[in-house]
Amino acid sequence: MIPIPVAIALLCAFLLVLLDTLRVREAVLKGVFLIGALLPAPVFLFVGVGSEVVGGWPREAGIEVAVTRLNMPFLVGEIVLFAFVAFYSLAYFNLKDGKTRKVLALLLLLHAGLMGAFVARDLFNFYIYMEIASVSAFSLVAFSDEKGAKRAAFKYLMLSLLASYLFVFAVGLVYMETGYLNVGLITENARDSRELQVALGVALSALVLKAGIFPLHGWLPDAHSKAPTPVSALLSGAVVKAPAYGMILLLPALPAGEPLRLALLAVAVVSIFFGIAMALLQKDAKRLLAYHTVSQMGYVLLGIASLNFLGAAYYAMAHSIFKGGLFLGIGSMGRKSRELGTFGYRGDAVMMASVIALSLAIGGVSPLIGAYGKGLIYSNLSWPWKLAVPLGSVGTLVSFTKLNSYLAMGRGVKLPASWKLPVLGLALTALAGGLYLGLGLNPKDLLYLSAAFLIFQLLKRAGVFEKSPSPGGGEVGEEVNRLTAVMVAFILLLTLIQGV
Amino acid sequence: MKMSVVVRTTTKMVSPFLVTYAAYLMLYGHLSPGGGFQGGVILAVAVILLITSHGYRKVRRRFHFNWASLIESSAGAMLVLLGLAGLAFGAFYSNFLPTEGGIILPFNVIVGLEVGAGFTFVFYILLRWVESD
Repeated sequence: MIPIPVAIALLCAFLLVLLDTLRVREAVLKGVFLIGALLPAPVFLFVGVGSEVVGGWPREAGIEVAVTRLNMPFLVGEIVLFAFVAFYSLAYFNLKDGKTRKVLALLLLLHAGLMGAFVARDLFNFYIYMEIASVSAFSLVAFSDEKGAKRAAFKYLMLSLLASYLFVFAVGLVYMETGYLNVGLITENARDSRELQVALGVALSALVLKAGIFPLHGWLPDAHSKAPTPVSALLSGAVVKAPAYGMILLLPALPAGEPLRLALLAVAVVSIFFGIAMALLQKDAKRLLAYHTVSQMGYVLLGIASLNFLGAAYYAMAHSIFKGGLFLGIGSMGRKSRELGTFGYRGDAVMMASVIALSLAIGGVSPLIGAYGKGLIYSNLSWPWKLAVPLGSVGTLVSFTKLNSYLAMGRGVKLPASWKLPVLGLALTALAGGLYLGLGLNPKDLLYLSAAFLIFQLLKRAGVFEKSPSPGGGEVGEEVNRLTAVMVAFILLLTLIQGV
Repeated sequence: MKMSVVVRTTTKMVSPFLVTYAAYLMLYGHLSPGGGFQGGVILAVAVILLITSHGYRKVRRRFHFNWASLIESSAGAMLVLLGLAGLAFGAFYSNFLPTEGGIILPFNVIVGLEVGAGFTFVFYILLRWVESD
């Protein structure tokens, strides 16, 4: 029964293209889209936790799918975010235009791909569904009319495909060594060997690239900021989570030594602070949020590298909800110009409350959902690494103090309710989710908040926010080459470090 | 981009055989080497050959752009429905037909249609930029 939700989304995507070709009325298309977007959630509830093999084949031959404690948070985050994004995109995209109607089908393919990747217990099947999601993501980024969107999509395409091919190569190596693609069977049959070390190194670097974590994040700020707003929310909220889930599948299955985990921890910590530092310097609001994705995926990797998969999963879920909400909120307010200071939420109480709540959530302030995952990740780290979590929280809060201070200055434009409600809904979900997971007020957060405010004032005095790094430019091929070289160096690092 | 008489006549003669071969690969995919994907690719090649030799405009009149899209999306939907039909017999994609190979035969045919129409569709879309017939 577990594959049914994925099948529903896929079926609705195909039906949308079919009905669009037959030139059916717009209302029907919207109905089919909403069915595909919303129906999987109750079906998942109905199916419940469990594991099965598609088609009733034996486990060695078939494709195993499962809903477990580990992938449930990923699924919940994706489904909740997609529901709100679905309503938002119906209002956002102009469906009168024949070209734009295809966007709904692509969104559903993205939905199906992500759900399929999250239920997979089989490396190849995981790869296929992650690819379905990625390919729809490239085309959705290219859908934007903005200047530079095609370029961003091309860069994303090249790097992501490079990572995919390397990942499938690594899956091939694992298959060659163990004879299985099923994660459970690989775990039972994997013996430490050179080939498996190489496979683990290559596959992990491919997933790190796709998740947009620090040294390999080069494609992310462009792709996430240039995409249409609902797509940005999905990209940052859900698409980068699929590779994170892939790491959760891979790491326990293959023999990974201590040096590799230490290297991943270091990468995660650097990613957290690099993302914050770059975000502090951004003038473009969506680019600021995109750099925060680099930083937040660092936390997820921190959880994964410390083998605290549950913490990583819960933080990924929280990130889906608040980052999606932030992108929708900032994107709809800054539709005309995303330059900080030219727009804001003054005079719009709903938007103000939602964005502030979501900003507190991303900073890990307590009754909101971000704190739960952060607490789980924090509790499982050894001493020097532990520090990264509170310091990162303060840094994130500084950056969001900056964002909110600019937003509070700008006058709000009148927004339609269909744009505001999804943002409000996600903010309320962040609160409700936190309360559901049993969070209360934490006095320590007040300390973090005041520290963040203090640092913000100091940085403002020092004039840090006036500086802004140039967004790059030049030949796109040259940029891809440079990022590929970094990728190769990273693969070598992860592969060689295991031999120590 | 119309080609010489030799090329046009040869393609016209080869194309029906290609379609037959594609049908064979799809229908016997469960018994002999072959299958839906291979059959579909050859199916698409038959159309693509005609387009390159006779020109896009002429072929488009017979194989309309929307047809490719229609076949492609309905084959995709049928593929999922085939899986859902298996639910009545126990599991998603369960092998419920009592014939030789079970649902692999219809599966291969649908995949062939999907792949063939999909490749043709992609080729049509790419041709839009070089529409200098």
